[in-house]
Parts: sequence; C-alpha cells; structure tokens
Amino acid sequence: MPQPLPQSVVSARGLGKHFGAVKAVDGVDFEIAPNECVGFLGPNGAGKTTLMRMIYSAIEKTAGELSVFGLTPMRDRKRINAHVGVVFQENNLDNELDAAECLLVHGLYCGLDFRTGRRRVAELLEWLALSAKAKSTIRALSGGMVRRLMIARALLNSPKLLILDEPTTGLDPQVRHTIWAAMRELKRQGMTILLTTHYMEEAQQLSDRVLVMDRGRIILSGPPNELIEQHLERYVLQASGLTDLPPIDGEIRHEHAGDADYFYARTEPPLQALYDRLPAQSAVLRHANLEDVFLKFTGRGLHE
Amino acid sequence: MSASPVQPAELCAPVRLRTGLAWSLFGVWYRHVRVYCKTFLANATPAVLEPLFFFTAVALGLGSYMPQARFEGLPYATYVASGVLAGSAMFTAVFETTYGTFVRLAYQHSYDAMLGTHLRTSEMFTGEMLFCASKGAVFSTIVVLVTFCFGVRPTAWCVLVPVVGAVTGYLWAAIGLIVTSYVKMINNFSFFTTGVITPVFFFSGTFFPVRGHYVVLDVISMLVPLTPSIELSRALFKAEFTPMTLLSLVLLLAYTAAFHLLALRRMTMRVLR
Repeated sequence: MPQPLPQSVVSARGLGKHFGAVKAVDGVDFEIAPNECVGFLGPNGAGKTTLMRMIYSAIEKTAGELSVFGLTPMRDRKRINAHVGVVFQENNLDNELDAAECLLVHGLYCGLDFRTGRRRVAELLEWLALSAKAKSTIRALSGGMVRRLMIARALLNSPKLLILDEPTTGLDPQVRHTIWAAMRELKRQGMTILLTTHYMEEAQQLSDRVLVMDRGRIILSGPPNELIEQHLERYVLQASGLTDLPPIDGEIRHEHAGDADYFYARTEPPLQALYDRLPAQSAVLRHANLEDVFLKFTGRGLHE
Repeated sequence: MSASPVQPAELCAPVRLRTGLAWSLFGVWYRHVRVYCKTFLANATPAVLEPLFFFTAVALGLGSYMPQARFEGLPYATYVASGVLAGSAMFTAVFETTYGTFVRLAYQHSYDAMLGTHLRTSEMFTGEMLFCASKGAVFSTIVVLVTFCFGVRPTAWCVLVPVVGAVTGYLWAAIGLIVTSYVKMINNFSFFTTGVITPVFFFSGTFFPVRGHYVVLDVISMLVPLTPSIELSRALFKAEFTPMTLLSLVLLLAYTAAFHLLALRRMTMRVLR
C-alpha cells in the first residue's frame, strides 16, 4: 500500500461507509493530486454521493482513513470546508429569494462580508451569463439556469477543491457544454475538481482520470483513453436485430447481449467490411468509449 | 461567456473568509430574516392577530363580566396581556422550528446547502434559534403595544418584555427542534401542537391562576416551560419582584440551556446522516 502523498488534496485508504448492513462505500483507496480533475463514474447507488458527502464532512465514515488537505473530515470540518465548494445534485437554493440574494446569503455562510459578497455575486453571475436573472426568483429560472446558479454559489468562497455531484444530469446539450467549458476554465486556474456522474461522455470530457465505482467499490481507475485502450479494442461495430450472424474473421471479437451484437476490432477495415455486409440501418461503427469499458466491467446486460 | 469581462483568474483569487462563531451565527440569522421578510405579511399576520383575538375574546369579552376583579393584584386585561405575550413568543418560535424546520429539512434541503460550507451544525441551529428569539422579542412586544390601545398600562419595567420574549422564543425554538428531530412525516406535528402546545398555552397561567388549588398542579405548573416566562412577564407588569420571580428566572435559563444543548445534539444527528 503506497503512503498517502503529503501533497494530496484528498487521500482515502480502506474508506467505508456502512448503513447497518448496507455497504454504501466498501473500502476504497485513492489519492487526488492538486489541480487534478477526477471523475467518479458509476450507476445510481454505486456510492458516489456518499463518498462525496464524507469528503465535505456531511457524514462520518465507518471504516478506513480519509484526509482532505491533510486534515481530518468531521473533526476539521471548518478548516476543510472553508476551501471547498459543493454543487449538489438537487436544487437546494432558497426558493423565496431572488438569484442574487440566494448567493449573497450563501456568501455570508461562507464567511464573506457584505461588500466582498456583493462583488463576488455580481462577478459570478456575469461569468455564468446570469446577470440578467439577478432579480429573478428561483422558481422563474430554467433547469439550466438553476444549475449554473448552484455552480456560482459553490464558487463564492473561491474554493481550492470543487465537488460536483452529477452537475449536468437532466440538462440540455447546450447547457452541458457551457458547464463543461466553465469547469475546464476553473481547472486551468488551478482548481482541483471531483465530479460524480453516470454520463460517460461527461467523465471523458472533463476528467484527467476516472474512478469507476460499482456497489461501493472502485473497480477500475485511470485516464479515460488509457482505460479504453487497455481494456478494449479501439473500434466497435454495434448492431441490433440481426437475424443471422455474418461470418466473422479472426481479428473480430463478437459479443451478444439482448437483441444487440457487438463486434470489436483493433483496426477499422475488418469492421468496415463487416458493416458493408449488414442491413443499412441496424448498425453503427464507432470508436470504443468509456461506456463500453464500464459495461464490460460491471457486466450488466452484456455479461450475464 | 467568452465575451464576459470577468476574468476567471479574478474569480479564483483567494478571498478573506470570516469563519468565526459570531459571523457564522449572523449569516444563518440573516438568511432566516430575509426569507421571512419576503412573505412578511403572510408570516406576521397570524402572529399579530391570534394573540389579539385571545386578548379581545377573553380579557375584554369574558373580563367584562368581572370589572372589579383583580388577578394577582392586576386588572384582568393586564393579567391576560402579560400571559398572552409569552404565549405569543412561544407560538412564533415553536411553529418556526417544527413546520418551518421540517420543510427546510425534508423538502428544501436547506441544511444540505449549509453543510457544503464551513458552518458547524451547532452554528446552523443556534443561528436558527436566535432568529426565533428575535421573533419572540418582536411579537411579544407587539402584544404590549396592541393591548396598550385597549387600555392595558405597562410599567416602566415592561421595557424588558422583549428580553423575556427573546428567551422564551429561544427556549421554544429548541423544544421545537427536538420534536422535529424525531418527526418523519409533517402530519405528525399535529400531535405535538394539539397535544402539547395548546394545553401548555391554556394551562400555564395565561388566562387564570393555575396554582393554589392542588399541590400536584402547583408542581406540574412550575415544570411547564412556559410558566416561568409568564411569571416573569407578570412581574414586569406588577413591577413587583419576589423569590418566585427569581426562581422563574433561574428555571427559564436552566430550561433554555438544557434544551439548547439537547436540540443541537438531536439536530446534528438528524442532519449528519
């Protein structure tokens, strides 16, 4: 077991959270380096949110070791969370207040004085293109605006560590890309970012490294592209509703799940040749992605 | 967003944070005040009108049948006003930390948002109880002002009414939080409001002297946490301070301290799960 690096932003060893007999997080080890963006990937109930809650001292661990900025969560919650920003999965803004006031109140929680608070609220609203909505009540905002407001709120204290719990779930593509661009900008400014998501694309877009979680454990970790290269052939031909299987040459690996067939190969030509022989609409030839890796390891649907 | 003159470097520059207790409590208190004031009329109307109805119905209505009666040396209207003001502080606080807190807890997830900051749970809920203390101070004072219009004459000591109202509000906010920490469904509060708060309001000497009939009742009456507040309030209206006044003060502060600690403990368990 490697020693926790002193410069780690977050360090976990054998970290667990049990609710009675349920092991929400079941012995995970990881180190987060400064300025890293790490995606925690997994299906609902994998333990991602519980893990994040332990990091920002909203819940006590039941097993293992955890340190954040070299400090101990729960015991040092004030010193840790002064430099943490959290974007929650669900909207917990104060619906009675307008957007600017919501942020100002949160700024006071963070310890800003009124003057600094008002300045930062104005800057963050502008940066996230919400200035025009400063006086709107939360109810009057769209889902994308609410989520941007939640992000603005998490940045009020200029955190060193930003925790995003499913930041773009349920949002339209425009908003998702806007949020991703903002996250990349924050990373360029030196912020360390933890992100939970069940969107593989999101993890691939933003993360230097992904930790794939399933049933409370980390089953896989590494940079997204490396994971794909290590664990899968580069190309996939995905076809559905094939009645009879075409002949396959030795370079192609075949899998069948439900009504779908997957053909994997290291190079494109054999799959292209196969694609040309298949009925036109049923097949897609593409690069293997994180989702393929994820399904390969979690096995649901594909590896019963 | 690229056209924005705001520089990300500026956004990410360190800011000075005041993480001390006083500013943390102020932040939470300020939040509740702002939210409360957004719907001030709807919030404040019952808090002003209900004590007024109790006062007019009982003190003016019923009281008109006994014009010469003195209760503990006070005209009946004054007697009732001094009781109702403490009840008013209790109601405004206990409703805030039962229904209000439950909505923040279970529906609005306001405490989750606070947990993402450096705030301790003790600061979150102390700030909330301080807000209730403010409400207690304001609405008990309003009772004095309104009943003044109906001829109740306060003494100079009544400038201390907001203090009694504030401590009463704080105490009942703590009691409300303790109840809320056990409640799983919002409907369950009706057992508490109807089963506890209503009898406390009517049987702690608000409208008639409870003590002096049965020893058992005397003891029970002194143990009900609203009684000391009413005793103190009445002492201010009588401008007369007895050993009983001192005992009431000690009891009120002791209850407040004990329930404060219990409330923080219970709500911490409820929120950090």
